[in-house]
Amino acid sequence: MANKEELFKELSDAIISCKKDNVLAAVEKAKDELDPSEIIENGLAVGMNQVGILFERGKLFLPHVMMAADAMNAGVESLKELMPEGEGDSKMGIIVNGTVEGDVHDIGKSIVSTMLQSAGFEVYDIGRDVPIRNFIEKAKEVGANMIGLSALMTTTLPGQKEVIELLKEEGMRDSIKVMIGGAPATTAWAEKIGADCYAENASEAVAKAKELLL
Amino acid sequence: MAKEYTLRMGDGKRIFLTKERILEEIEAGTADAADLGAIAALSGDQMDKLAEILMMPGKTVSVEQGMEVPVTHDIGTLRLDGDQGNSGVGIPSSRLVGCMMHERAFGADTMELGHIDYSFKPVKPVVANECQAMEVCQQNMIVPMFYGAMPNMGLYYTPDGPFENPGDLMKAFKIQEAWDSMEHAAEHLTRDTVWVMQKLMACGTDGVNFDTIGAAGDGDFYGTLNAIEALRKTYPNMYIEAGMAGECVLGMHGELKYDGKTLAGLWPHEQAPLVEKAGANVFGPVCNTNTSKTSAWNLARSVTFMKAAVEAANIPCHVDMGMGVGGIPMLETPPIDAVTRASKAMVEIAGVDGI
Repeated sequence: MANKEELFKELSDAIISCKKDNVLAAVEKAKDELDPSEIIENGLAVGMNQVGILFERGKLFLPHVMMAADAMNAGVESLKELMPEGEGDSKMGIIVNGTVEGDVHDIGKSIVSTMLQSAGFEVYDIGRDVPIRNFIEKAKEVGANMIGLSALMTTTLPGQKEVIELLKEEGMRDSIKVMIGGAPATTAWAEKIGADCYAENASEAVAKAKELLL
Repeated sequence: MAKEYTLRMGDGKRIFLTKERILEEIEAGTADAADLGAIAALSGDQMDKLAEILMMPGKTVSVEQGMEVPVTHDIGTLRLDGDQGNSGVGIPSSRLVGCMMHERAFGADTMELGHIDYSFKPVKPVVANECQAMEVCQQNMIVPMFYGAMPNMGLYYTPDGPFENPGDLMKAFKIQEAWDSMEHAAEHLTRDTVWVMQKLMACGTDGVNFDTIGAAGDGDFYGTLNAIEALRKTYPNMYIEAGMAGECVLGMHGELKYDGKTLAGLWPHEQAPLVEKAGANVFGPVCNTNTSKTSAWNLARSVTFMKAAVEAANIPCHVDMGMGVGGIPMLETPPIDAVTRASKAMVEIAGVDGI
């Protein structure tokens, strides 16, 4: 019989392999020895955390992160019948993410959405060149806890400020965190416009979202 | 109280640091590059030299006499005739006038013609116009005159192009479909680039400048390397300059290879040999500026990466220097104190062949 630490490592390694079959096999093996919550928190989530670190260091890449997230979802799904009702459904937070109006850049914002999603957040990526009001309407529709605002040009940065102003007008600012990003955005700009945080890259976006929402 | 020197943060904000703090920042910056790239950190002497450059009293500094390097130029004439949204100053001028101003007034050692959209794909329907403009420039100018554009593989994805956006596909966990989409886009990028440059070479162009390779990830780099290889085979004497978009090749695909080497996650010193193998004459390595770190940290990190790239390349390295790259702060008009210090450090410590 394997001890707990060995089982946790097997679960974590299975996630790092990014293969669903490996994860399902490791979960199946651990089911008899560990509680579902232990399997998720001390095994699968630890592996996902390691995947994030390997991504940040350029050792694993976006498709691998998604494959690992997909495998983790499958592993959690296979444990649902063993968990108390509702326990497996909890999301870490709901985030609306998009590139502000006038700015057609998409790739960096998409990477951030993907990384947030793979970290366990419920993410609504509303695309690029998004009219200011659409951020507010989508946030209302899905009950968002956070709005992510990307801008890649100095001329479209003011769009981030406009969304924050509109959130205030709508009386929603206190209940929704705002994260900004994009090449010309900086911590100083975030402070100036009253955003809750600035993230330099996708990994930092995940870390800051966790800090603000968990 | 210890003397403090004026430096900047990566977002351009002025800061004041003692010599000891500057050296600490330099040590941390070079260590970060050494750790990420598995390359040598700067030596003690090199760190001292970098600190000396950063602490020089003049607002601007310069390389020592005899150490001047060529300055090549990208983004066509957009810095003059483009508006602020396009990194320009909005001076109405024809592209011929703009090119000649760069040659005769701004000291550019090479120049390029570029279209307002500045990507290969949108040049296809206006290539005859580009050929005419190039011919007029060639008849009036002396410096080597290239055609410049970005590979910009993102233009091949919906809604701009025929293939589904791999970012959307991946978010839906459709990994194989995302891979297929990127591979198709890369094939089209190679084909379009070669076609555009065949037309331009037929009207007397001296070469091509690929600007911001890899902006759409490893597929973008893959498509461009194949385009360089195809162009080199067709035009043995053509001048090919290959400038990167960022320090590390984004792994959007993750498994594309060139010459047996996985492209995702490559740092400048690993990119250089592949660019050379494909057939480029000049490599333009990039190191991104972290806006939350000091200019001492950023410049030390940048110089460390560039030094490794120069050592790994047998072709000249013309480092990318400007807004948010090469240790220069992320500002629309980069401050001259930071630009000149970064340039001097790149030449005198990293040993770059050009800027």
